[in-house]
Amino acid sequence: MNGQYASLLIALPLISAFFVPLIKGLGKKAVKYYLVLITALQTGIAAWVFQEVYTTGKPIIVMAGAWRPPVGINLYIGHFAALFVLIVAVVSFLMAVFSIRAISVDPIDKYAMLFLLVMLGATGMIATGDIFNLFVFMEITAISAYALTAYNKTGEAAEASIKYIILGGIGSSFFLIGIALIYGSLGTLNMAQIAQLAGGMDATVAQVGLALIVFGLAVEAELFPLNAWAPDAYQAAPHPITAMFSAFVVKAGLYALARILYLMQAVSSWHSVLKLLIIMATLTVFVAEFAALRQKNVKRMIAYSSIAQIGLIGLAFALGTQSGVDAGVFHMVNHAIVKALLFLAVGHVAVSLGGAEMEKFEGLGKRMPLTAFAITVGAIAAVGIPLFNVFWSKLRILLATLGAGYSWAAAVVLIASVVEAVYYFRLIHTMWFAGEGERISEGLAVSLMLLFLAALVIVIGVYPDYAWSIAQKAGNDIFNVADYIKNVPLMGVGA
Amino acid sequence: MISAYYFGAISLILIGLYAILVKKNVLKMLIGLSIMETGVNLLLVSVGYISGRSAPILSEGIGPNQAVDPIPQALVLTAIVIGVATTAMALSVAMIIYEKYGTLNVEEIRRLRG
Repeated sequence: MNGQYASLLIALPLISAFFVPLIKGLGKKAVKYYLVLITALQTGIAAWVFQEVYTTGKPIIVMAGAWRPPVGINLYIGHFAALFVLIVAVVSFLMAVFSIRAISVDPIDKYAMLFLLVMLGATGMIATGDIFNLFVFMEITAISAYALTAYNKTGEAAEASIKYIILGGIGSSFFLIGIALIYGSLGTLNMAQIAQLAGGMDATVAQVGLALIVFGLAVEAELFPLNAWAPDAYQAAPHPITAMFSAFVVKAGLYALARILYLMQAVSSWHSVLKLLIIMATLTVFVAEFAALRQKNVKRMIAYSSIAQIGLIGLAFALGTQSGVDAGVFHMVNHAIVKALLFLAVGHVAVSLGGAEMEKFEGLGKRMPLTAFAITVGAIAAVGIPLFNVFWSKLRILLATLGAGYSWAAAVVLIASVVEAVYYFRLIHTMWFAGEGERISEGLAVSLMLLFLAALVIVIGVYPDYAWSIAQKAGNDIFNVADYIKNVPLMGVGA
Repeated sequence: MISAYYFGAISLILIGLYAILVKKNVLKMLIGLSIMETGVNLLLVSVGYISGRSAPILSEGIGPNQAVDPIPQALVLTAIVIGVATTAMALSVAMIIYEKYGTLNVEEIRRLRG
């Protein structure tokens, strides 16, 4: 099949979002099943793209309107993008199934539309090869995410949403200033051409531009000090949306950060930007883990844990070494699985028992044993116990950090991991050894999804080699910019 | 005088940032956000401005050599649309906040914390 069909990854969710009002005429149930159908189709296309890219070993370059870059905008679906587009699609599919049970607030058609647009935006951010196109997709994701955060129409949801909007607005303005600086000095917006020309850029302009882009994307990527919106939004958003935020919306921001950072590695002031990012990422891990320790709401606690793990990925990307990027990508995959599992399970408890406060989890082992088991697997994995998937990626990030000579950062991360173990084991203790309760029905679809994700956690934990080899290829896609430039068929203008 | 445009753009950005950071009223913060976005748009257009040339519209007597760089103008068009969407979204959220809390003061909108 022709590689240009990969543009369906963008086209399908967009056109389907427009058809939602028509489907609404068939009833509320129909909208939910429509959402499941579209995400399943998207998963199919993403799986085909993944298989295509990993068997041929060549990226798929989609050229919009058959204009060759840099005149036309191109999509670059390399090893990284193929892997993450698949993760976006699979998580969206699982959450669409979960939405059938979890979403009862109207208007469901708006929910379905925004859901598809978030999926579209994240896919586009990962796949695009043009820096301004990246900005547009980032805004699509962000504006849909603002609306979804406020979807429950409670005061808390609106409060979380306005925080997100104001920080997101500042972030996108900074990002745009960064783009203006890069365009002003290089005269191009195509990412491959930026990488090609970056060596000749003025060091100060490049430094300021990159720092502004780092700050702008740090809002989406939830890095300290621009992540104040995240715990509130995670807590107030509908449960399936929280899982999507943690599993791929933030990852898309992180990827954009890493991609732009490594594209510009020929710039002479590159290392000073890396140092800035290392400090931000380490502080993210530290602050978030200690904040998680004193949470009474389990959803909020896991949100803080998610932010801490994101900081860890940011640290891995900021090292500027091949092993760091590989480990970071591996951790992104593992974190997406574990946090999808945890937020799905916690959301399931909150839907069934009417809240995510710590008291609701007392006796969960007796009331909903399967869900409690899933949370236990996720919690143990997140702490980083051997034979669970996160252990391998955390270990590799620590080794890469030591290898790059940042032993203080590794020490901070280790201390933070101990803190993480404390609050997760407190949660596990509450579930299994406190309180009593009658057994209640857990629902077949959600149980199957929980078992699937928990099985994935354990399988990758016991046999990490296959997942690691995929992560290495994807990491190489980000780190090896020379290949990236070579793969995009640039037209010989301006350069 | 290109530097005047840059000066104007940067001042608008800083005024907007000041309003967002200092003001307590949600609406005033959103106005600040809009001012900041306008500043960024002006900066983008200034980047593509070439002194003495006209708008990049192909017409009689205006070829590629007489016009300014069109790409930043296309970018600004997109950025303006995005800015309108963000502002509309933010204002509708501000309406919900006023309904639920009875105030727009950010110091009193603090149910989520910790």
